Amino acid sequence: MVKRKSILKSILFYLAIFALVIFVVYPFIWMLSVSFRYDSDAFDPGVIPKRPTINAYMELLGLKESIRDELSNEEKQLLDLVKDLPEEQQKPILDKIYSQRKKESFPFLRFFLNSLLIAGLSSLISVIISIFGAYAFSRIKFPGRGTIQKSVLLVYLFGGTILAVPLYQIFVKIGMTGNGYKGLVSLFVIYLVQTLPVSLYMLGNYFRTIPETIEEAAIIDGSSRIGIITKIIIPLSLPAIITVFIYAFMIGWNEYLFASIFIRPYPQFYTLPIGLNEIFYSDHAIWTKMMAASVMTSIPVIILFMTMEKYLVGGLTAGGVKE
Amino acid sequence: MAILDNYSPLKKKEAIFGWKLVSPTVILISLLILYPVFYNIYLSFFDVSLSLGENNKFVGFSNYINILKDITFWRSFGITLLFTFITVVGSILLGLGVALLMNKKFFGRTLVRSLLLLPYVTPLIAIVFSWKYVLLPIDGPLTKFLTLFGFSSGMDIINDPNNSFIVVSIFNIWRNFPFIYLMILSKLQSINDDYYEAAEIDGANSWQKFLHITLPELYFVIGSVALLRGIWNFYKFDEVYLMSKFANTLPIYIYEKAFTGIPQQGVAAAIATLLFLFMMSLIGIYVKKVLKW
Repeated sequence: MVKRKSILKSILFYLAIFALVIFVVYPFIWMLSVSFRYDSDAFDPGVIPKRPTINAYMELLGLKESIRDELSNEEKQLLDLVKDLPEEQQKPILDKIYSQRKKESFPFLRFFLNSLLIAGLSSLISVIISIFGAYAFSRIKFPGRGTIQKSVLLVYLFGGTILAVPLYQIFVKIGMTGNGYKGLVSLFVIYLVQTLPVSLYMLGNYFRTIPETIEEAAIIDGSSRIGIITKIIIPLSLPAIITVFIYAFMIGWNEYLFASIFIRPYPQFYTLPIGLNEIFYSDHAIWTKMMAASVMTSIPVIILFMTMEKYLVGGLTAGGVKE
Repeated sequence: MAILDNYSPLKKKEAIFGWKLVSPTVILISLLILYPVFYNIYLSFFDVSLSLGENNKFVGFSNYINILKDITFWRSFGITLLFTFITVVGSILLGLGVALLMNKKFFGRTLVRSLLLLPYVTPLIAIVFSWKYVLLPIDGPLTKFLTLFGFSSGMDIINDPNNSFIVVSIFNIWRNFPFIYLMILSKLQSINDDYYEAAEIDGANSWQKFLHITLPELYFVIGSVALLRGIWNFYKFDEVYLMSKFANTLPIYIYEKAFTGIPQQGVAAAIATLLFLFMMSLIGIYVKKVLKW
């Protein structure tokens, strides 16, 4: 009797786990499935693609010309005709063809590189600044430390929604809008500041777990504080530092609100979230490509997370904060 | 440096060094977070001009008066409160359930644990597209599945103003429960087994053990997670906006007022200020009453 009850219980248990896994991975399964299909098969029923292909990936990576990128016959004929025309008549027709073609492109690689640059750079600088800040918080006594620490924590309570208007006004006033480069710099500074509190908090918590006796020994040996940070603290907390870097990187990689405020007029400078979202609402929303782009957007982050999972889970619960 | 007068020279040197280390952080956060919060309040009293060189016009409280008379504002406010409530309660219940399941050892647990992190770690834009795909009218696989339960297959669930709120809430719960599950699980694993053994000797059943040992132990974790998620979800812009433009929460309203159509940034600043003040007082009450700090 007891046995039967426990069998029933474990069946229910595994059913619950199974339902949970389906619930979690369902959208991902379709993302993968559709990304390996031909455009015309995007809505075929069944999870497993009947004619699997890496077409969409090849096109996004520029390894293969999309049909849409190839000149249509009509355009080719037009080009031939244009050759014989006088120059001033040639220009508007050529411009029209090029603008048409530009409209038809899906510059995934450019978005990807923009995101990589801005998320990578802002999180790198954020981590460097917070190593010093967090060290001061966890080891050095100075008046005002408590207040500063509390204000840094308080900053968590200010969402981007609250800051969007004033930040936009400030950046307009100091002339940091008007072209794509300036927009990118504005984003860099904003991402840097948005990730600082998280980085400081997590690193501070970690540094406190490093025994101070190691440092005392180094001080007796004549090492300076800076020497201690670079030669002892950084090597000892490398996993934590990388974890924090990944968090900060993700914030920049995901950010949409400020990107849409500062770089929407400059398609050359789009990051992945804004670039893909703009394409989604254009004529180029081909599901296979959108899904392949989604997979490739996720891969760097998922790889980072999976390799660091052990530290991440600890860091997440210790730091408690990501957004 | 009057504050440092009663410090010994060595301590003084240390303190100055400490300040040097934190100064970049302090400067950046003051300039780009604290100052904007106050500047926002200042702007809310102006008719903010968008062209350079043209001055902002002081309008006193009229931005506030306009908002308080604006029915769309009140509706968005109500929707935002409901959204926050549903997503916080939903993701905590789900997170708690999952944490209890994952606290048992079973075959394949490591794999399941990594899969559970996926919704939380995958870039937002990517999962937004896959959700939009599965919920497409007629062809979307989830839509097709839902027709088995009486849904009509032609319904555009995401872009229907009546349903988009529900979709966005479920999406938010789906995306954020792993965060809560992780926090609860790590607390669960630190509860001393002796308590459960003692309760068993006293004849307690599983439900009683959960109610009298597990829940009280989890009180503060759940309380703090609810606070964090509450704050974040209240301000949540991207997850809502990218998923559906028809969900009409207050952050979306601010964004639309400030950056689309004919921008009224003074009004947007006033809404943001109200949101901020409301949030701050709510947090104050919560921290006192629930977390008992």
